[in-house]
Amino acid sequence: MQLLLNALIAGSFAALLASGLALVYGVMGVFNLALGQMALIGGYVCWWCVAVAGLPLPVAIVCSLVVSLILAWISFDLFVQPFQRRHRFLPIVTTIALSMLLDGLILIVFHEEPRSILASGQRLLHIGDAILSVEQLVLICVTILFLSVLVWVLTSTPFGRKVRATVQHPEAATSLGMNGPLLRRSLFILSALCAACGGIYVGIDQNLSPTLGMHLTVKAYAAVIAGGRGSLKGAILFAFIIALLEQLAIGLPWFGVYIPAGYQGTVALLVIVILLLWKPEGVFGSRLRSS
Amino acid sequence: MKRSILLGSILTLLLTGCGGPATVRIGFIGPLTGDAATMGKDTLKGVQMAVDEMNAAGGIGGKQVELIAEDGRCNGGDAASAAQKLVNVDKVQSIIGGTCSSETLAAAPIAGAAKIIAISPVSSSPKLTGFSPYQFRNYPSDAYRTKAFGTFFQKNGLKKIAIITENTDFCQGIRSGIKENLPAGAIIAFDEVVDPGTKDYRTLMTRLKATDFDAFVLNGQSDATNGEMAKQLRALGMTQTIIGPDSVDSDSFPVIAGSASEGVLAISAPTVDETNPKGAAFAKTYNDRFGKPTWSLYFAALAYDAATVALQTLKEAGPGDAQRAALLAIKDFQGVAGTFHFDQNGDVVGMPYGLKEFKNGKSVLREVIPVN
Repeated sequence: MQLLLNALIAGSFAALLASGLALVYGVMGVFNLALGQMALIGGYVCWWCVAVAGLPLPVAIVCSLVVSLILAWISFDLFVQPFQRRHRFLPIVTTIALSMLLDGLILIVFHEEPRSILASGQRLLHIGDAILSVEQLVLICVTILFLSVLVWVLTSTPFGRKVRATVQHPEAATSLGMNGPLLRRSLFILSALCAACGGIYVGIDQNLSPTLGMHLTVKAYAAVIAGGRGSLKGAILFAFIIALLEQLAIGLPWFGVYIPAGYQGTVALLVIVILLLWKPEGVFGSRLRSS
Repeated sequence: MKRSILLGSILTLLLTGCGGPATVRIGFIGPLTGDAATMGKDTLKGVQMAVDEMNAAGGIGGKQVELIAEDGRCNGGDAASAAQKLVNVDKVQSIIGGTCSSETLAAAPIAGAAKIIAISPVSSSPKLTGFSPYQFRNYPSDAYRTKAFGTFFQKNGLKKIAIITENTDFCQGIRSGIKENLPAGAIIAFDEVVDPGTKDYRTLMTRLKATDFDAFVLNGQSDATNGEMAKQLRALGMTQTIIGPDSVDSDSFPVIAGSASEGVLAISAPTVDETNPKGAAFAKTYNDRFGKPTWSLYFAALAYDAATVALQTLKEAGPGDAQRAALLAIKDFQGVAGTFHFDQNGDVVGMPYGLKEFKNGKSVLREVIPVN
C-alpha cells in the first residue's frame, strides 16, 4: 500500500514532465533538451514568490506560470523556431545551449542552496498502514485533474483537432486556414507550462537544486519513448509505470534479496528497454510516421 | 628624436626586466558551480578576506597579493586542470585548495611536482594523509571522525545501526570508516547506497520502518539529499536517533528538512567561537561584507585560517621548500576556527570535532570531541 502511494507521488511528478515532453517532442516532433531547466525555473520562481516576496501559494503558482509562459515564448522564438525550419535535429543543439544558459541563470538568480517551497512541517494522514501528507494528497489530485483536462483538450476539442491537424501536415492545415505558427507556439508554451507545474510539484514535495535539470529531462524522455511517440496518454501512463517499477525494484525482496538502491533507476529503464525490443514504436505509438 | 625613442624603449625593457610580476599570486581551487558550490563559495570568501588583510598590512615583500580562483567542480578532472593552470600559466606561489577531497587528491601531485605548497581548508579524506609532502590541510582526516562515530554509538548504547549513503567519494569514505570502527557487539542493520542527487527515499524508508534499528546515519553529500532523507524518515513516524557527518551541519539543512531537523546530530567541525574576540570579529566582518554564508561560517573560517597561515609563511620564508619548513615549524597557530599545528604528513593537529545538535532550526554545539 505504502509502495503504491510512493509510486503515485513520484509518478504524478514524472507525469507532469512527461506530458510536457509528449506535447513538444511526441506530438510536434521538436526536441527540447531544456525542458528540465524550464521545470526548475518554474519551481524556483514559485519558491521566490513564496519565500522572498511573501505571496500566498496560489498567487505564487500563477506568477510562476506567467514567468514560464514568457520564458517559453522567448525560447521558442530564439532557440527553436528559427532552427526547426532548417532541420528538425538542429533544436537538439540549440536547446542544449539553452539548457546550459538556464543552468547558469538559475545559479546567478537563485544561488546554489537547495530550496523548498513549503518550509513548514507536513500534516500526515494515515490510510490503513500507509502514511501520506495532506500536501501530497492535494498534489496528486490536482496533477491527475490537470492531466485529464489536458488529454481531453487535445483529443476532444476543436483546438485539439486543429493542433493535431497542424502537426500531421503543416502545409495542408495552413492551406485550410489554420494559423500553424500560432498553434505550434501555443503547443510549445503549453509544454513549458506542464514542465513548470512539475517544477512546482518537486519544490513543494521535495526540494529544488540547480543540478536537477538534465536528470528531469532524461526521465521524461524515457516515459515518452516507452509510451509511444505521439501518444500523450501513453507518456503519462508510462511516467506512472516507471515510478511504480522503481519503487517495486527496491521495495520488495526479489528471490529473497533486495536489489541495491543504487540500481533503482537502472532496473526501471532495463524493463523499458526490454519492452521496446518487443514493441519498438512504444506501447501506445502508432506505426504511421508522423511529421 | 630617434635617440630618445631608443632610450625610452631600453629604459622600459630594463624596468620590466628587473621588476618581474608586480604581484604575489595565490591560487584557489574549490567548487564554484554545481551542487557543492555552496561550500566552495564560502571557502573562497574566507580566502579573499585573508588576502585582503595581508594587502592592507602592506602585502608580501612590498608587493600586493593577487588571488586567482579556479573552479574545481568538486571533481578530480576539473581540479587537475585548475592546478595545471595555476602552476604553469599563472605561476602562483602557493595554493589554497582543493576544497572537496576529490579535488585535493587530483591537484596535490601537480602542485607537488612544481614544489608549490597547497593547503586544503576542508578536505577530510583519509587517503590524503602522507599523500604529497607539499600538501597540507587544517581539517582533520575522516579516519578520526568515524572513530568518533564508534565512540558515540558505544557511549549511547546504540547497537543496531542503519545507514543510507549517497554514492560519492566522501560519503563512501564515511560508510566504510563507520563499518570499521563499530564498537563490539554493534551491527549494521540496514545499509543502502543511492545514486548522487537522489531525493525520493520513501520506499527505502518504508523498508527501514520494518527494520529493527537504534540509530540512523544520515550519509548524504549535501542538504538537498540529507534534508529529504531526514524529512521522509520522520514522516513515517520513526523516532530513532539521527546522526550524520559535517555534510549535515549546514545552515540550510533545517530549511529543507523543516521540523524533521529537530534533534538531528552531526559530528562536525567546531563552531566559530564568537565568545572570543577573534572569532567575533571574523563573524562580523564576514557578515558585513558577504551577508549570510551559503553553507556555514566555519568552512569560511577554516579557509581563512588556511590562507592566513599560507600567506604568513610565504611572507616569512618564501615559496616551496622554505615555506614547507616554515609550516612544519609552526607551534600553536591561533586561528579563527581553532588553535593548531601540522604534523610531518601535513595533517592538522589540535583541531577538535564538535558534536552538534539542531535545536529550533539552528545547529548548536553540544560537546567538543578532542582528536589525536
